[in-house]
Amino acid sequence: MSQKTSKDKPQATAHMAEIVREYGPFAGAASIAGVTHDGQRVWAATGARLIAFDPESGEPTRALDCPCDAGTAFDGSHLYQIAEQRIDKIDPASGKVLASIPAPGHGNDSGLAWAEGSLWVGQHRDRKIHQIDPATGAIIRTIESNRFVTGVTWVDGELWHGTWEGDESEIRRVDPNSGAVLERLEMPPGVNVSGLESDGAGLFYCGGGGSGKVRAVRRPKAAGS
Amino acid sequence: MDSLIAASARALAAGDILGALKRVALRDDPPALALRGIAMAQLGEHPRARELLRLAARGFGANEELARARCVVAEAEVALAARDLGGSPRTLTAALATLEAHGDHANALQARLIAVRKLLLLGRLDEAEAALAPLDARGLPPSLAAVAELAAAELALRSLRIVPARVALARAHEAAGHAGVPALLAEVAEARATLDRPAARRLCADGEQMLRLDEVAALLASDALVIDACRRGLGTGAAWQSLARRPVLFALARALAEAWPGDVGRVALIARAFGTRHPNESHRARLRVEIGRLRALVTELAQIEATAQGFALKPLAERAVAVLAPPIDGDQAALAALLADGAAWSTSALALALGDSQRTVQRALAEMEAAGRVRSIGQTRMRRWLSPPLAGFTTILLLPTTLQME
Repeated sequence: MSQKTSKDKPQATAHMAEIVREYGPFAGAASIAGVTHDGQRVWAATGARLIAFDPESGEPTRALDCPCDAGTAFDGSHLYQIAEQRIDKIDPASGKVLASIPAPGHGNDSGLAWAEGSLWVGQHRDRKIHQIDPATGAIIRTIESNRFVTGVTWVDGELWHGTWEGDESEIRRVDPNSGAVLERLEMPPGVNVSGLESDGAGLFYCGGGGSGKVRAVRRPKAAGS
Repeated sequence: MDSLIAASARALAAGDILGALKRVALRDDPPALALRGIAMAQLGEHPRARELLRLAARGFGANEELARARCVVAEAEVALAARDLGGSPRTLTAALATLEAHGDHANALQARLIAVRKLLLLGRLDEAEAALAPLDARGLPPSLAAVAELAAAELALRSLRIVPARVALARAHEAAGHAGVPALLAEVAEARATLDRPAARRLCADGEQMLRLDEVAALLASDALVIDACRRGLGTGAAWQSLARRPVLFALARALAEAWPGDVGRVALIARAFGTRHPNESHRARLRVEIGRLRALVTELAQIEATAQGFALKPLAERAVAVLAPPIDGDQAALAALLADGAAWSTSALALALGDSQRTVQRALAEMEAAGRVRSIGQTRMRRWLSPPLAGFTTILLLPTTLQME
């Protein structure tokens, strides 16, 4: 498999992803489009319902009826959710949409993350990640990847994105300035990443696309990088 | 999958075709093309749908062969719905291999069912049966299970296996109910109705009696010697002698059977078999020859005894004789009865079976085709005639399972 990555920077080290736990599939959710973590719960976008579950027990605890077609993010108090060509800012308590901004990819958007006062939006087949102003949707800068982007997350100053191209799916750490691939976690064959969020500690939560599952993947120790 | 693709797919799955189209109308990336193709197919725009699905298949990258295979399957299904049966099966076979290699069982079954339905429409029943036999419909989406059972029912009805046909139709009904697709339910109901319609007449000395398909099957399975003017042959139980290519012998057998247990005079037999009312010595000689041939062919089933007037049919083991005829008289009914086996017939074979000229048969077929009671495939000498399928195979219904592009 490593031969196929000749396009990558040679420094990128590849490991097999270590899947710690699987959640779901959840009732009435055929696929997972995006995931986020609010400190206690994991939220998963399932098309028309945003569901929250307890990562300890795996039991669903909340559900908000709202269109949720792709990435999900949490800024400490609000949820952000990509729906069609816009990003909705949602009050997690009431489920009310407080504001909407246009999505930078005009509907080609996939992953969503919150970090350092900005939203980071993956643009799926265009293999890009945009940093945008969460108030206006204006693009601040753009990072080019060399794989489809299906999920984006920040943790400890590291930018990670999920990729799923054909049958190959990985979680990759990229240089936020150059887009260079620094580290790669290969998912097993047939296991795909459709959304990505770190819990701020040792785990990533990954949407499993049409499998309807959410998987917890161990984040490698920062040592050596 | 990106957000508008997801939203469009969600709309399509909910039956909002125009909503799905609206979201991806201006996009030309492969997933959008595939969704547009499926939406167009559901709107009945078959040529445009095929074009879009073909573009989508071509647009997916080398490492997206699963998505490409799903597009190929969707396009094959639209081709089937448009009754374009000319395509090579190789593309579909290759797509099927890809789907199986990736463990996409639902769409692999879908591809197999498309192949089976195509064989059924082409009248290649043995191949269809062989392709259908290994399919396991359990645990699969109910809409696919319903189609598999409908195909099994069609095959069973064509070969007059009524009990398996009923069982398959009951399962199809149940699966279609689970799928909640009205068009599928209607198709099952239509196929079930054929079981209750008159399929043939039994001619007796004191008149005639309409028979349903199961009664026909019961009669054919009974101990009686049946002279079947629908399929052109005679038999008892499993013993069957086809006379489809021997119209003179069949005319003689039918005349003898209609008169049974009495005999038929030579003049009457000559009139029936040779179509002349003024027989001469050569007709008599020919009648002797043809009776000799018929006697040799049916020796396992019956004897033909000479009487003072002419000849009489004497079934072996004191069996009764029954004559089965198409539900109504006339060329068209006879043609429809012959085609009811579901196989593909050439015009010349039909003409030979009915003992009519090709011209007469062609005229009758043209009228029936205009009325939608027969279908033809191929052109000129390769043209073959088939009865319409018992199940209509409204195919578009199954397309949404190909939707899960990722």
